[in-house]
Amino acid sequence: MTAPVTQASGRRRYLTMAHREALGGYLMVLPVCLVLLGLVAYPFIYAIVISFTSRVVGDPGVFVGFRNYQFLFNWVSFNRALTNTVTLVVVTDILKFCIGLGLALLLNEKIKAQGLFRSFILLPWAMPAFVSYLTWRLLFLPIGGGINLLLNSFGLNVGVIDWLGQRSTAMPAVIIATVWRGFPFWAISFLAALQNVPPEQYEAAKVDGAGTWQRFRYITLPSIRHVIIVVTLLSSIWTANSFESIWIMTQGGPSDATMVLPVLAFFGLQSQRLGEAAAVSVAIVPALAILVFIVAALLQRED
Amino acid sequence: MRNRQQLSRRTLLSGVLGSAAAALLAACSGAASTPAASTAPGAAPTQANPFGSAAPTATKPAASAVASSSTAPSSNANAATSPSAGPITATGKMTYWGGLIFSDDANNMLSQAVKDWGKQNKIEIDVVMINQNETNTKVAAAVESNTMPDALDMGLDLMLLLSNTGKLTALDDLYQKIGTAQGGWLKGTEDATDPKKFGGSRNGIPFGVSGNLLFSRKDVLQQAGIAVPKTWEELSTAAEKVTKPPLYGMGLALSNVGDGNLQVSVLQSYGGRIASDDGKTCTLKSPETKTYLEWVTSAYKRGLFPPGATTWDGAGDNNAYLAGQAVFIANTGSVAITAQANKDTDLVNNTGYSSLPSGPKMKISSFGPNVRAIPKSGKNIEPAKALIEHLANPDFLNKYYKVAIYGPVLQNQLKFDAFNEPIRAGLADLAQNGTAPGYPDVSNTAYADFNNNYIVPKMIQRVVIDNYDLDRAIDEAQKAGEAIYAKYK
Repeated sequence: MTAPVTQASGRRRYLTMAHREALGGYLMVLPVCLVLLGLVAYPFIYAIVISFTSRVVGDPGVFVGFRNYQFLFNWVSFNRALTNTVTLVVVTDILKFCIGLGLALLLNEKIKAQGLFRSFILLPWAMPAFVSYLTWRLLFLPIGGGINLLLNSFGLNVGVIDWLGQRSTAMPAVIIATVWRGFPFWAISFLAALQNVPPEQYEAAKVDGAGTWQRFRYITLPSIRHVIIVVTLLSSIWTANSFESIWIMTQGGPSDATMVLPVLAFFGLQSQRLGEAAAVSVAIVPALAILVFIVAALLQRED
Repeated sequence: MRNRQQLSRRTLLSGVLGSAAAALLAACSGAASTPAASTAPGAAPTQANPFGSAAPTATKPAASAVASSSTAPSSNANAATSPSAGPITATGKMTYWGGLIFSDDANNMLSQAVKDWGKQNKIEIDVVMINQNETNTKVAAAVESNTMPDALDMGLDLMLLLSNTGKLTALDDLYQKIGTAQGGWLKGTEDATDPKKFGGSRNGIPFGVSGNLLFSRKDVLQQAGIAVPKTWEELSTAAEKVTKPPLYGMGLALSNVGDGNLQVSVLQSYGGRIASDDGKTCTLKSPETKTYLEWVTSAYKRGLFPPGATTWDGAGDNNAYLAGQAVFIANTGSVAITAQANKDTDLVNNTGYSSLPSGPKMKISSFGPNVRAIPKSGKNIEPAKALIEHLANPDFLNKYYKVAIYGPVLQNQLKFDAFNEPIRAGLADLAQNGTAPGYPDVSNTAYADFNNNYIVPKMIQRVVIDNYDLDRAIDEAQKAGEAIYAKYK
């Protein structure tokens, strides 16, 4: 008789019903935590650790402190790669935002063949990245490239422009290709957000005499702000880490005009110097972390 | 009481989470850093596909021994001319990484030969053909994840890197056996794979020599009344005469790809050096380097290079030549194979082949043997040796060389009818008379790192793209070279 009483009192002492429910909840999220630890935290921390070593392929190396980072910051290509990465992210984000929002607003209107257009807009994003960038490379070829042929056929007589072979045009060419590949994600995300804006708000604003710009400024933008922030964050991370666009189109050249951090890390990997390659990859983390914190703060403020 | 309950819950949760995290980290850490799996008899086969697919199960569970003693080097040297007789047993499924080249016929032939060997010996074997430009990165990932194949093809640079970290099996016995059976190794090949440079042993079996030949459009040169240039200066002079856009004289890559490093050889032929004689200090900055840089950038500025040469990928020169946009290119032979495959008889008939031109100081016509190697981590070292020996069979190689783009590595191979054909005759000449890899510099890991960072092509790009003056471009390249060489001191 006494045993059950003791058990019951024990349970009461340590785990109430609420606590047991909470514990159940924690156990339910445990697998996700483990997956995140294994797939995100572990590689991330491991990369940071490696970046402080002289590790090469097949040799764990030794702890070298900040030597890899010192080497990088004195490396001309690294500074250029950092600048180019930031430029690529900022400029493509701005362009993708403008194009994506514009198209989303257009596709949100009642137009003919709306479904067809919505599907059509996804094509660049659905296409394998390497096919897209290879196509853009062919289009930008100086001899026989589509862009030059088009310009010349319009009577502009531009002759042979080496779009990818000049400092002044290489990065803009890469930006155009990157924007083309990435804008559908923005457009579709914005479109989904726009469809959740209650039409009554627009009607009420109209009744109050609000013009088109005012409705956009005070209803549309605030309503989809949440999506804008998240899409900007995701797109920035993807662009900052994208490798194939640059590698396929320019290999970081000409000179270092389009060198970005992932391509620089790849060069480190080609030399089998994992410590340096990891340091290059880790070097962009502070910038991305700041971006993530800003976004998190903005989202929290909204909530 | 409440405090005590909270502590209880926290303690419990932290314990569970902490243990799980620790277990996960330990498991992951072990997977990443565990040394090569043991080849102990009876060990369960855990060989994984290099691209991460599920590990195949052993096809011959009874074959627990690592290898059959019958595959040990035979005292009969002639045995190397044909596959070793006797049963060969393997632990689990074997994997072979072949080097992908521009000839589909050659790729298929190699792949089929490996599979046939597997069938003959009742060994399940996967053949993965890998783009040679990507071998380094694939191997880096495989070494780190302990998923190296049982045998693979590679260049000397990679063999050097892997030898320095003790990742390759010594193959001195097999090297000796094949060499003795086939008239001995060619001197250039022997020197290039000298054990002194590779940790004291022969860590790869050479199977073909790669190097650049000068391809020139005979029809264009004849029309202009120009002979095939013997020096780089003559080449640029000839290029100036024949350049009429969209046809350009100098179809040489100046971009951040392997082809761009041909410029290192040109620089050396002008007397420039990458490093000191001991291979420890970067000595790029010199009057000879400046003379070379002046020559190449002047040619670029005179419009002798096709537009886009500064951002060409590995096929840039091939495409330019095949499209009729380049008169001279330096190529390993892949262009000719593609032209033949395209049935472009005009181009095939109008193409002349010669060795690379000389510079003012010397002629650098660098070549490098490609080798087949066996990672130490493999569970099938003896079967892999038998496979490599099988692939050194003269009957197979004579057929293979007819469709591949390699020069010979063994004396007896010089008699193969494959090397009567003009391009391959050029490759055979290169294999006998070419300069050793890196020469006159020391081909060490620092030199490989220097080239992997494309310092010389980038130096040229600084002048022709960024309008740096010559001294500034050389200073920057010297600084970059010093930083690289300093890492290996």
